[in-house]
Amino acid sequence: MKPLIISICFLIVSITSASAADQHVTTPRTMKFPELNFQIPKGERVVLECGTPVYLLRDTELPIINMTAMVRVGSVYDPPTKSGLSAMVGSIMRSGGAGGITPEAMDDELEFMASAVESGAGSDMGTVTLTTLKKNFSRTLQIFNEVLLHPDFSEVRLEIARKQAIEGLRRQNDDPKEIAGREINRAIYAGHPLGDIMTFASVSSISRQDLIDFQRRFYRLDNMILAVSGDFDRAALLKELNSIFKRGKNSCALDLPEIPQPKQLFQSEVLYGKKEVNQTVIRMGHLGLSKGSPDIYAVRLLDYILGGSFTSRLTMEIRTNQGLAYSVGSHFDIGRRFTGSFIAETETKAESTIKTVNLMKNIIATLTKEPVSDGELNAAREYMINSFMFGFTTPASIVTQRARLEYYGYPDDYLEQYRNNIAKVTKTDILNAARKYLHPEAFKLVVIGDAAKFDQPLTTLGSVRELDLKLNIPK
Amino acid sequence: MKRILLVVTLLAAFATHLYAATLEEKVVEKTLKNGMTLLMVERHTSPTVSAWIRFRVGSVDERSDERGIAHLLEHMLFKGTTTLGTKDYAAEKPILDKIEKVALALTAEKARFEKADAGKIAVLKKQLAALEAEASKYVIKDEFFELYSKNGGTGYNAFTSRDGTTYLISLPSNKLELWAAIESDRLQNAVLREFYTERSVVMEERRRSYDADPESKLWETFVASSFLAHPYGQPTIGWMSDIENLTRSKAEQFFHSYYAPNNAIVAIVGDIDTKKTIALVERYFERIKPGKVVPPVTTVEPRQSGERRIEQVAEAEPTVIMGFHKPAITTPDDYVFDVISMILGSGRTSRFYKRLVIEKQIASDIGAFDAPGNRYPNLFVVSANPRTPHTIKEVEEAIQTELDLLKTTPVAVRDLQRILNNIEYEEARQMGTNGGLARNLTEYEATTGNWRYMIERRSKIAAVTPADIMRVAATYFNRENRTVGFITKKGGGK
Repeated sequence: MKPLIISICFLIVSITSASAADQHVTTPRTMKFPELNFQIPKGERVVLECGTPVYLLRDTELPIINMTAMVRVGSVYDPPTKSGLSAMVGSIMRSGGAGGITPEAMDDELEFMASAVESGAGSDMGTVTLTTLKKNFSRTLQIFNEVLLHPDFSEVRLEIARKQAIEGLRRQNDDPKEIAGREINRAIYAGHPLGDIMTFASVSSISRQDLIDFQRRFYRLDNMILAVSGDFDRAALLKELNSIFKRGKNSCALDLPEIPQPKQLFQSEVLYGKKEVNQTVIRMGHLGLSKGSPDIYAVRLLDYILGGSFTSRLTMEIRTNQGLAYSVGSHFDIGRRFTGSFIAETETKAESTIKTVNLMKNIIATLTKEPVSDGELNAAREYMINSFMFGFTTPASIVTQRARLEYYGYPDDYLEQYRNNIAKVTKTDILNAARKYLHPEAFKLVVIGDAAKFDQPLTTLGSVRELDLKLNIPK
Repeated sequence: MKRILLVVTLLAAFATHLYAATLEEKVVEKTLKNGMTLLMVERHTSPTVSAWIRFRVGSVDERSDERGIAHLLEHMLFKGTTTLGTKDYAAEKPILDKIEKVALALTAEKARFEKADAGKIAVLKKQLAALEAEASKYVIKDEFFELYSKNGGTGYNAFTSRDGTTYLISLPSNKLELWAAIESDRLQNAVLREFYTERSVVMEERRRSYDADPESKLWETFVASSFLAHPYGQPTIGWMSDIENLTRSKAEQFFHSYYAPNNAIVAIVGDIDTKKTIALVERYFERIKPGKVVPPVTTVEPRQSGERRIEQVAEAEPTVIMGFHKPAITTPDDYVFDVISMILGSGRTSRFYKRLVIEKQIASDIGAFDAPGNRYPNLFVVSANPRTPHTIKEVEEAIQTELDLLKTTPVAVRDLQRILNNIEYEEARQMGTNGGLARNLTEYEATTGNWRYMIERRSKIAAVTPADIMRVAATYFNRENRTVGFITKKGGGK
């Protein structure tokens, strides 16, 4: 009802701000605004002599240059017994020295210049980044190149990283929110590399040779995209990039392992972890959809209406109306290479745990039963279309976004068509998407807290499997 | 996380000579007739603008019977005005008045604890629920948010600290008038509707952010134990029983006392024309009458005269926090602490990281920062996670060894130069986003009295000598001035 009222108000002709100058200020409901000219900034795509694509955007506002390499690598390629390998490679490429520069010398040289070269890997992408004052670009680029393509993987630094990782495992059950986040992901992606987690055994089994072999296999000029932004001279930059990134003569053909899609199993399960706390952490969800689906625009709007904004149904009911939580929401993580996920989450006092779980499930289920209101659809559409420009506020975000879209194989005109595609979505599209992608009866539900204090027995939600939160890590 | 962010913010605040001219030229200042400070920077990188309003009132300014009110009021100021967030304020108002009458009676009865009349409480609760249901018929939920969002606003939020309270938004640059209209309305005509539901939300926020997170709980206990007298020790969110006893009357009182234009600093950064922006802000804000200035906190923390050790038993691995009392921002010694904190705690070349993480391998994480505020004398804090099987004691000793080294051995010139080089970079970088710049301008204008601190700090830091560092280390890093907080794993204590 309420959003409808507002949208009608917007149609009412109001006095303009100019004429209001010395008599009265206009009210926000009826306010009109001057036109805004927004062109989607692009950046330029160039292919280096070695064949690697690079996105460029020159901007001289600050005397800074940023660069990112996106490498097709990630934890999905970890061998089953060596979970954590990709992450270890990503981190030790930087921390373990490179190109004959010792770790200590590299840290000292970079930090003295106030430059940064960092490396890391997620589930389906590895990145190496560079940030520097313009005056130190050339030297920082050399170090970037060594880290990216010629890391030394110091044995001492591997051992430090391994001990750090084990310490991280030891602490992984300290914060109930961390437990819940990890366990819902494991439950949704059970049996798939995306659901694997690092263990004491897996991290203990990783050798220096494993790091070297893994790095050589994936971190190659024919397996990455570059993005550079900031205060550079185009011709000089391209010359420098071409002279530093040269393809090796006898490198073998790129061989990326085939990783299957997660199995589409929708089966409810209740997972419980005991923590003596006064607030319960709740996560629920299942598999979602991938970027290739024609439904992604409907799902983005559905997401906003259900749990992706402060005025979403979940926040409105559970936080604003009932005061049951501070943080509540839901999110479709649209899969880029693999099927994505849907996860709804909140935390509420132990005494309102079951009530809140049921409320959330009901609110989600309602979306599969009846269409959203015109007001909800309009509010979501207007937000997505009018805030679109915030994806382009820094030169670095503009080029890395373009590079990321190419990396994941989005259509060339994805950004240019985005607002049109959002504008086209109807209430029926959203209802159909909800029916297709929301299955509250098949949620994996993770509850971390103190069941003795819950408002009802946890078993009212289904049969419960208790998580083992004991650490099986030798001292 | 919060504590790490603080370090980043401090780093982002320095300024070089070269850049100083730039920032000095770029910031346009205007003080309105009612005392409101307006700071603007034109940046035309994208057609967007960030607008931040900082009030010079935070939880440090609360009385003991209203702890948590600055933060709860911040939540309440999202609930609308006499014209927004309501379908009919004239009809709504009498119900809101009845709600408050019942809520005050209920709060008073509950405050009798074991002498309270359970029957009376049940009746009042029922009345309150019925009245709230009636009032809700008139509410347009979160209309501010809805209006901003539909117009493409992002990052609409607010935060409360010991030192102040800030409200922020980013908008497409043609929509700045929407901000002026909503924010000037909020400042004059806020209605704190849905108060008692929001109080429950804040109690959930407290459980989430402190009670159920062992490290945050230790942090809260550590800070409270470090200050016996000064209100910096009190948690901004308030203790649970404080929150339970907050009322709309108290929030309104706090609002009307302190939310005046002369206590407000506005920063508008982005795709704007400063002249037009001044006219816009004057048109909406200038007619708001000034109020009283927030009085300074006069309580002085008594000098600590012995180590304090705070244990927190939790279902978590050990962690240790060490704090030393030190002077407030802009004092001469504070600049020396800036240098010390970078030498010890900033980056992979920092002494703590090199010694404890890489060489001795007794810690997995370590950092150094200032807390819990800046306006008044605060703490220099070191926080670390021991790496099993190493103990709190080993880590503590290793930290103290590094602190003691600063007393006896002059810092190398190259280390000081590295700090200046990093400041040069951070100065440039902080100009790169509208929000970041608006944040620093409001923060430093509020805590130091003048945003030019961002520029002047550079030369102050450059003037710090190795001898200054030895003197400051010797003055403050001693056992009597030290508070240590640590987590003992449940069942793992001796």
